Amino acid sequence: MRWPAFLNIKTIGLLLTGGIAGAAFILVLIEFDHATSTEAFCTSCHSMEIVAEPYRQSVHYNPTSGVRASCGDCHVSRGVISATWDHILGTKDLFKQLFGADYDNPVVNLVHAPDAAFKAREWFRKTDSDTCLRCHVLEGIKGTRADTQKVHQEESEGKSCIDCHINLVHRKVPGKKVFKRDAWNRMVEEEFGLQEGMAEKIRQGLVKAPQP
Amino acid sequence: MKFTVNIIILFFLIIQPLYAAKVKVDPSEFGVEGGNACVDCHFKTSAGLAEQWKKSKHGQLGMNCLDCHQANTEDNDAIEHEGFTIAAIVSPKDCGRCHVTEYQQNSSSVHANAVSLISKRLPAMAQNLGGKAIVAAGCDQCHGSVVKVKGDGTLDTATWPNSGIGRVNPDGSKGSCSSCHGRHEFSKAQARDPSSCMRCHSGPDSPDRAIFEASKHGMAFAANRNNMNLDSDSWVAGKDYTSGPTCVTCHMGAAGKLPPNHDVGLRNSWNLNTVVSERQQLVIFEDGDKMDLPESQEAPDPGTETTKIDGTLGTVKMVIPPERRRKAMSVVCLECHGKSFVSSFMEQFDSVVELYNEKFGKPAQAIMEDLYEKELLTPTPFDEPIEFSYWELWHDEGTRARHGAAMASPNHTWWEGMYQVARNFYSKFLPQVREVAGKDAEALIQKHVKNDKENHGWLDQPNKLSPILGYGNSKPGGE
Repeated sequence: MRWPAFLNIKTIGLLLTGGIAGAAFILVLIEFDHATSTEAFCTSCHSMEIVAEPYRQSVHYNPTSGVRASCGDCHVSRGVISATWDHILGTKDLFKQLFGADYDNPVVNLVHAPDAAFKAREWFRKTDSDTCLRCHVLEGIKGTRADTQKVHQEESEGKSCIDCHINLVHRKVPGKKVFKRDAWNRMVEEEFGLQEGMAEKIRQGLVKAPQP
Repeated sequence: MKFTVNIIILFFLIIQPLYAAKVKVDPSEFGVEGGNACVDCHFKTSAGLAEQWKKSKHGQLGMNCLDCHQANTEDNDAIEHEGFTIAAIVSPKDCGRCHVTEYQQNSSSVHANAVSLISKRLPAMAQNLGGKAIVAAGCDQCHGSVVKVKGDGTLDTATWPNSGIGRVNPDGSKGSCSSCHGRHEFSKAQARDPSSCMRCHSGPDSPDRAIFEASKHGMAFAANRNNMNLDSDSWVAGKDYTSGPTCVTCHMGAAGKLPPNHDVGLRNSWNLNTVVSERQQLVIFEDGDKMDLPESQEAPDPGTETTKIDGTLGTVKMVIPPERRRKAMSVVCLECHGKSFVSSFMEQFDSVVELYNEKFGKPAQAIMEDLYEKELLTPTPFDEPIEFSYWELWHDEGTRARHGAAMASPNHTWWEGMYQVARNFYSKFLPQVREVAGKDAEALIQKHVKNDKENHGWLDQPNKLSPILGYGNSKPGGE
């Protein structure tokens, strides 16, 4: 048996180099996705530190089982290709952090929080709450309350986790259908002791938010 | 003129429907689509309330969760819940979509206005003596909270959960039907049972639980509870039950030709929870609102504007005099008692109120006014012992005496009531007046107390024998 003519030493060399480079690239991507999905990475922007505070009080941070979900576990898709894609899309957040409103200011952050929540919920709906399934298995949900297991088996047909489970981790935001911007603004003003109407002006970027 | 008005008013009271008005919504409209999905889940997650609903008349008629809980997205307490837009609070306005008459009657009652009614008392009580926690878990649980919906859609825990009778709901309506008609079974029997009223009408300022239980009426009820027909659709005193009255019987229930009414204060001719009791007129406004007006204040003419309890202006439709209210109450009594028995009982009751007013209420009030006037007391409420004595004299002890007489408990009229008033007045209040006013005290006491020889003349007869206190046992005439 003879080697095919095109398999000369040069081609083999190139194939090997390409293969190794490709494998290395994928490894780098995996490592990159891991590194950029951690709480430490995400909260390296101060605006995310504000978002992380309620998370650290939540059951997803402190479950009795000790299985802690980090930012990426919920907000970055499973599989290296989807994960990379999510991170590419995520760069728009970085862009906004650098050139957008002053999200590091807690007032600005809270004024805009509902928009972020609605986008996140939409994403979960679109992905059929796939990242929840990283840890949760529908058949395995037993719960401590009476009949939690039954509800998850009998009433979950055609539903996605996010349809029922919102406001578990981050600051509470009403459902989009019933959200009232005015009421939200009043809450922000009350919380930070601002004059009525300030929150809306801050949202529109007409005035600079005071540093609380 | 007055006679004509009275006739019209009597007519007005009588033409109302005899029983609880039938609901105005056609049963074919019961059972909002999708509501059965709630039921499937809630039988698992909150089986207790689901079972209660299933047993209830509402459940049996095919109404589901959404019939009451469905909300519009623009409602300020609307939430998204498992794909539905709902509200946790079912307000009287919601119930009123079907129960139109009851809603209208209750909305203008003292019950529905329980928040406005104590607005002047609340700051001194809540801020000085209690605190926010007490307002939420104490005051507001009976009087009602002003429910606050926060911007994040949650209900402020300082105002919710709350079943206070005068709750101000997110939709602006006043009251809480579930205060008496416990959710989710809405049992008629439970609402008619005195225990339903006693959640709030017990304790020092509204000691009606103890008074009713100690009265002949309460005894009759307790002994014959099983004959009370409490869950009957029609519940007319003297017809559907005869064993004894409950709170509802006299204050709201149907009796003879008297229709039932969800305005609980309609038949009360006196105000018994003030420093000095006054007979009260009932002002009815064009928009159906009502307001008690002390007899000493001139009745506004129909068509004129006057200030309502909540501070807004309203056009007067008519003014019902206290005698008419008394007459309505007496109609209930007549189902079991004779005419002269009833009028004589009322005379005994009125005399106790008048005695309290003249002997204790008025002089104590006048003395306090003078003490504040002369700056012998600071205006700050409850920072001086005499302020507590005065407050308890009318608000606790005085109320107990007056309610005791109104509801025929001899023990509460005297030992738990007027005796306590007298003991406070002579052994605490007056000595504190002497302490506070010093050299001015005797003149004050002379002017407001001792000059009333009929009531307080005994103070100037120091040599009268009092064997019950150990004086004069050995003297002729002693025990």
